[in-house]
Amino acid sequence: MGKEDTTIYAKFNPYEDLQRGLTPEKLELYRASVLETLQSPSMILRQKRDTLALGAMCTLPYPELSERARSRIEQEVVCLISEGAAPYHPRYVAPDYARLLQEGSEFLELGPAQDLHEATSHLLTAYFYLPSEPVFLGQIDELLEPFIDSVDEQTARNLMRSFWLMADRLNPNGFSHANLGPQETRIGRLLLEVDRELKTLTNLTLRYDPSVTPESFALQAIGNTLEVTKPYFLNHPEMEASWGENYVTASCYNTMRLGGGIYTLVRYNFKEAAAQSDGTIDDFLNRVIPETVADLAEIVNSRIRFLVDEMGWFDASFWVQEGFLHRDRFTAYAGVYGLAEAVNTLMQASGHPDSRYGADQAANALAERIAVRFGEELAKHPGAYCDGKDGQICYHAQVGISSDIDVTPATRIPTGEEPALYEHLAAEAPLHRAIDGGISTVLEFDQTAKENPSAVLDIVHGAHKLGIRALSIGSTNSEFIRVSGWLIRRSDLDRAKDEKALRHSSSYLGAGFFDTKPVHLHRLPRKV
Amino acid sequence: MKQASDRETPLGLVSKVLPQSFVDGPGNRAVVFLQGCNLNCLYCHNPYMINPCNHCGDCVSGCPSGALVWEQGKVQWSQDRCIECDACIESCQHNASPQVRQMHAAELWQEIEAIGPFLAGITVSGGEATLQTDFVRSFFSKVKDCSELTTMIQTNGVVTQDLLEMMLPVTDGFMVDLKAFDANDHTRLTGHGNSPVLETIRFLSGRGKLYQVRQVIVPGFNDTAEQVAETASFLHAIDPAIDFRLLRFRPHGANGIAKTWTAPSDDVMIRAEATAKAIGLVHVGRSI
Repeated sequence: MGKEDTTIYAKFNPYEDLQRGLTPEKLELYRASVLETLQSPSMILRQKRDTLALGAMCTLPYPELSERARSRIEQEVVCLISEGAAPYHPRYVAPDYARLLQEGSEFLELGPAQDLHEATSHLLTAYFYLPSEPVFLGQIDELLEPFIDSVDEQTARNLMRSFWLMADRLNPNGFSHANLGPQETRIGRLLLEVDRELKTLTNLTLRYDPSVTPESFALQAIGNTLEVTKPYFLNHPEMEASWGENYVTASCYNTMRLGGGIYTLVRYNFKEAAAQSDGTIDDFLNRVIPETVADLAEIVNSRIRFLVDEMGWFDASFWVQEGFLHRDRFTAYAGVYGLAEAVNTLMQASGHPDSRYGADQAANALAERIAVRFGEELAKHPGAYCDGKDGQICYHAQVGISSDIDVTPATRIPTGEEPALYEHLAAEAPLHRAIDGGISTVLEFDQTAKENPSAVLDIVHGAHKLGIRALSIGSTNSEFIRVSGWLIRRSDLDRAKDEKALRHSSSYLGAGFFDTKPVHLHRLPRKV
Repeated sequence: MKQASDRETPLGLVSKVLPQSFVDGPGNRAVVFLQGCNLNCLYCHNPYMINPCNHCGDCVSGCPSGALVWEQGKVQWSQDRCIECDACIESCQHNASPQVRQMHAAELWQEIEAIGPFLAGITVSGGEATLQTDFVRSFFSKVKDCSELTTMIQTNGVVTQDLLEMMLPVTDGFMVDLKAFDANDHTRLTGHGNSPVLETIRFLSGRGKLYQVRQVIVPGFNDTAEQVAETASFLHAIDPAIDFRLLRFRPHGANGIAKTWTAPSDDVMIRAEATAKAIGLVHVGRSI
């Protein structure tokens, strides 16, 4: 498959060319790739069509870049995460579904929802027409609570069950994410109940505020996390302080503004950036980071401008025209990963080979300095059309992709190197304070935790007080595994090994992840 | 620099501090294990907490990290050098440990204060916590002065009421281990009769401070339906709302003869729970 051509652009399709697009000499590579997709035994039709569409788009040249910015991609300091050459729709959107339920949609030919039947079917319809992957399904309790008295109790439960089942079956994507809280609602309790029964992969976040969320509701959610590894416990007061009231959590744990979204996600690899330094911490912090972040910003902005100016998406979409999405609530992500390797490399180069991130205070302090420094530099570069974050490109801790070899997702302490529970949380908390566009810490408890859910809630309280923003909690032997950010099921891993088709495209990513990083199957279980 | 007032407070013999436990009372708790016990249970899982160190010095030479030295007739333990291999505990012939610290309440609080945000409270266990009531009261007073944390005591119940009375104002609840309801079974298991234990349960319940009664179910001692029914009836007569928790004996981690015993089966545990509920106790639970 043309290996000689793929060394530089290891993360790209072999027929891609950043500057020229598909050239005649690579046409056969492209055709081979198309044929491979068509013949794949493990993809369903929809997945094949998505792959073909992405491949076709990647025959175009990428938006124009300076030579220096392009070199960052070749050095793999900057990674374009398979969004493809020509961004023609936003990467993530968080529509104002409440408006749809209240006013209906001319384009969708829907009137205002009259009862819980219509409200749930309106939402399912909206998901079908989303202009990006369905990463945000709405603040379900706020959206549906006004309709709950339109039907009797049993009907409400049946409707929530079928709605939640179809939200998964019609959106086979483990990146779909719904939000609850901070208030307790009848819909919120019902959704937790049916989620626990149905065991779907759709993600949930509870926006948790101990001064608003009743303890009984929080404990119901804890009970769920120990069975199905969701919802996330999100530090609502901390998030509100960063974003104001109208923020949402989507995809893995990504923060965005309600009624807005994210144009593009470009990744920044701390590990490879550290390799560009002369080995000193000073050179890394004060030369490499400023230079590479400038290039990163150029790349992000080239993609935003292409989407907004050349594709004209915001001029043409009914989502914008009817007021469900607003261009001025969008921003883009700079998503960092590989912090652990950068810290360990720099500590080693400066004569402290035993000082490792997670285990040593000096290394943890360096992790915080790097994370803060990156944020300072990022803030110096205006993001094009990034009104959704006061003109800034949004700082995000990226979960990793299956092709990441020997590089730790986001700002996490590597799996297997986590220190004791409180130390783990204390080490990662400063990074949660520094990064406000989505970051999480993943914990797993042994089975005994199920006998004392309030103890788990105590841990959540302590973590949130330290500044941890999103906490994923699971228990050992659960069918669900949190792959850094999204969920997969153990049974899907087995199917993937047998090359059987999987409904959820995210499960392929998860299975690939375990091929390259099997250690992620064995997260440190916390004895309680 | 310790303040003068700290030096005047009673000293405690602290064997171990566990920063996180989900099984020692409500919520997540730090557990302080105090050295010294007045029972000698056949299935004791922490026999090294039974006696104070007699400074025989036998453990010193086996310490691989130089954490133990013998000076002026005393075994001195250095926490900084200790690698927690527990070779000293394994070699001790006297059911003791050199890793015991003499502490004032303020020193112990200082160790726990930083993790306070993660905790619902602190449980003092042992050994037998009530053998050091002056220290426990001093420590819990400090906890109450400095935090909102709840305070619990885990006890075998062999304690006088005047000592319990002394701790009540600063203690939110007690967990009492009732090893066996039958006096003979209790003596066989622990070397001590159980009438003080039964009195303790009655007393604490009357004062609204009985958080839980626990029983480790051990085949041959307290696992028959009749034995469980008798125990439950005793509790029920005091207060049907008493929280009664049945714990499964596990030979792993036990010492001596108890290593050869078997854990009660699921059937036995399920039957014990059902029996206690049938008597009319409202809150009966059992461990996995």
